[in-house]
Parts: sequence; C-alpha cells; structure tokens
Amino acid sequence: MHSNNYTLGFVFIVTLVLGVMLSFTKDSVKDLQDQNLKADVQKTILRSLNFEENLLLSNESIEQTFKNYIDAKCVNVEGDIVECNIEEVDIEKNEETLPIYIRKNDEKIEGIALPIAGKGLWSTIFGYIALNPDTDSVLGIQFYKHGETPGLGGEVEKKWFTDNFVNHPLEEPNGEVTYVPKKIRDENGKIISITVIKGGVDYSKSNKSAIHQVDGISGATVTADGVSDFLLEDLLRYEKTLDKIRDYGTI
Amino acid sequence: MELFNSESKKIISDPINVNNPISLQVLGICSALAVTIRLDQAIIMTLAVIFVLCSSNVILSLIRDYIPARVRIVIMLSVIASLVSVVDELLKAYLYDMSKQLSVFVGLIITNCIIMGRAEAFALKNGPSKAFLDGLGNGFGYGLIIIIVSFFRELFGAGTITLPDGGAGYVLWSIPESWYAAGYENIGLLVLSPGAFIILGLVIWAQREMAGIEEEA
Repeated sequence: MHSNNYTLGFVFIVTLVLGVMLSFTKDSVKDLQDQNLKADVQKTILRSLNFEENLLLSNESIEQTFKNYIDAKCVNVEGDIVECNIEEVDIEKNEETLPIYIRKNDEKIEGIALPIAGKGLWSTIFGYIALNPDTDSVLGIQFYKHGETPGLGGEVEKKWFTDNFVNHPLEEPNGEVTYVPKKIRDENGKIISITVIKGGVDYSKSNKSAIHQVDGISGATVTADGVSDFLLEDLLRYEKTLDKIRDYGTI
Repeated sequence: MELFNSESKKIISDPINVNNPISLQVLGICSALAVTIRLDQAIIMTLAVIFVLCSSNVILSLIRDYIPARVRIVIMLSVIASLVSVVDELLKAYLYDMSKQLSVFVGLIITNCIIMGRAEAFALKNGPSKAFLDGLGNGFGYGLIIIIVSFFRELFGAGTITLPDGGAGYVLWSIPESWYAAGYENIGLLVLSPGAFIILGLVIWAQREMAGIEEEA
C-alpha cells in the first residue's frame, strides 16, 4: 500500500502532465478550428440561400462564394441600417443590431437570410432562415449548431426536416400536385411565422393554415416547440426590415 | 523477435476472432449501434478507437508499477479521457464534417467498455509492447464488426457506400436509379437503431458459429 502523500503526489503529476498535453493540443489546432467554424456558419447561410452544393465543397470556395454574392450588414428593429461588426454579433442575446445577409446578383435581391436561435430541449439551436425577395415564402432553412439528442431533436438539422419548409404540396384543379414554399405571412401580410406541428400537418382542405405549418419530429416535441417559438420571435424582430424590402425592394 | 512470436500473434489475432470484444464479449455496443449508419463514420470511429486504445494501453502499461492501487480507476479514466479529448480536438480541426456527424460519440469513446476493460485486464499486468499489440488487436476486432455492420446498414438502408475523404464523404457506389425505377426500395428500418440491433445480432451469430463457440444453456 502506498502512502497518502505518494498517492496525492502521483495524482497531481498525472493531472499536470495530462493538462499540459491537452492545452498544447488545443492551442496548436485552435486557428484551424476557428476557420472551420467560420466556414461552417457561412456554409449554413449559403445553403439556406439555396446556393449550389458544388460551390460549398471547400473552405476556400465557401469564402469566395460568400464574398462574391453576399451583402452582409446589420439593421435595427426599425429597419434602418446600423454599423456593426457582423461576425461578433451575439445572435442569441442581441436586440439592437440584427445581422442580415442578402444574396445579390447585379444589385438585384435574390434572397434574404436571417439568423435564428433559441432554446430547444437541452441546448440553444442556431440556424438561418432565408426568404425569397417577396419576404413571404421560404427559400430555405438550415441549422448548424445544437446539442439536441441525435436521432430525436437532432433531426432538426436533417434534410427531411428542413425540406418541409420549402415543400408544401398544392393540388391543382386538374389533380396534379405541385410543391411550393411555406409562407411566413398571413393574407393581410402580417408575419405569423411557421409552426412545427406535433404528429404531422393536416393537409385536408379544411385546414387553411397548412401553408404556415410543417411536420414535427416524433419524440422531440419540446425541440419542435422551441423551433416554432424562436422562429416567430426572431422573424418579428425583422418585421420592419422585411416590410421595407417587400415594399421598396431595398433596405 | 518478440513482435512476431506465437504469443504476440495470439494477442493480436484473438480479439479479432475468437475473443472479439463486440461479438463475443459484447462490449462497446453503444457506439457499435450509434456510428454504424454510414461506412465512412465507422471507419473514422475505428481509427479513433484504435488510437485511443493503443495509446492508453501503452501509457498505462509504462506507469503500471507506479500507479497506487487505490486510485488506479481514476488514473485510467483521466488518461483515457485526455486521449479522447485530443482525438476530438484533432477531428474538429482536420475532419470538421466528420466530427459534426460523429458528434457526441467521439466523446463517448471514454465510456467505451472495451478501453477501460483492456486497461484493467491487460495493460496493468503486461509490458508496453504487449499492451500495444493488445490494443491493436482489440481495436481491429472492434473495427471489423462495426465496419461489417455499417456496410450492410448503409448499403441496404441508404443505398450507398461512402468512404471518408476529409469532407462530407466520397460516395464509392450507390444503387443505380434504374433499380429504384424497377421497384427496388431501401430498407428504412436499417437506418434506425432496431436495424443496427438486427444486423449486429446476425454478425454475432455468424462469428460465434464460425469460431465454434457454444453458450451453456
């Protein structure tokens, strides 16, 4: 049996060595990790804005595409452009400066991406929702960071879930089904956002709100409710900005 | 040379075959079920486990005579946990997409019973070179099973075979569209956890049959 002092000393030395090893590793790869993280956020924005996947293959091409096509700026709740350092805006807490990413082609707006973030079940979920220039129909939605249970709440980042937002089945009079994006505004142009429905959307004719609803995730009701809540809350912050873009075609 | 005598061979080949950690000892099942949806995930996970298993075995074997018995579990756990954190950080830096897909399961290598099991059962009683071979053998044994399981799950569940390529994965082969047009369908069940149980069960059965092992009733 070793003495208490020996045991304590041994544990101390092991902890010290392992600690140094860990901090050395972290320190030497920190820059690369930060680059990956930044590219991942940009990739999420570009994906939500419906860019071709082959533009998003490497960190370099992501950065290039972002630089060429995206006009990133900040607005306030009144819809006026304000100065900000867009990479340092805390999406979750910030109220005054709201980042907005506009996809432009020769000065013409092709889409608007807005950051969304809020509580799911275990964690804060981060993502982007992109709208068409009509500021009503959804161009895409993507989530890039969350700590929800893989297979349950974690499904929010999966294609089948995000595709829900752009595939609303619409039956034509001749019986053919076409797919249109979901809408965030009601008939009067008021932003009512999109609600994640537990179970699934009722697509019968009597359900007039189906265009504002998407299928939920079984086993992840709290995550889905969280998504519904923060989506509405975040979209409302941009209400005046979106109205401006709809009415004047610019901010 | 010590590396190639029959005892060393046995140390490395037993865990792959007649003493496989997954199919015969039924350890490490959690990650075997979780990361076997796609082949590329299983391959990277195997490499991560082999790295952690070999290094933890060697490190613990080197200091085995100095570890106070009362705190040996704590020491083993901190060595293993640190190594896993190193792997996690490296994945985040060099294989970002893969680290996102593997998410918590890299961190959960810490709780993989195979690693603690080998440390306690083997590394603390044997020299570093033997411990290294033992880690290699068990790592391959683990990898063999999850690679077989993930191959079948991905092929029949998603209709593709994906290899790791540093990005989102290189699709080596996928079931041609004409098959789907002819009425072929992917088995969605295999992508879900019950599918993993079924395939793993079949693999365990096949391997026990081949190894000629019979459980006592």
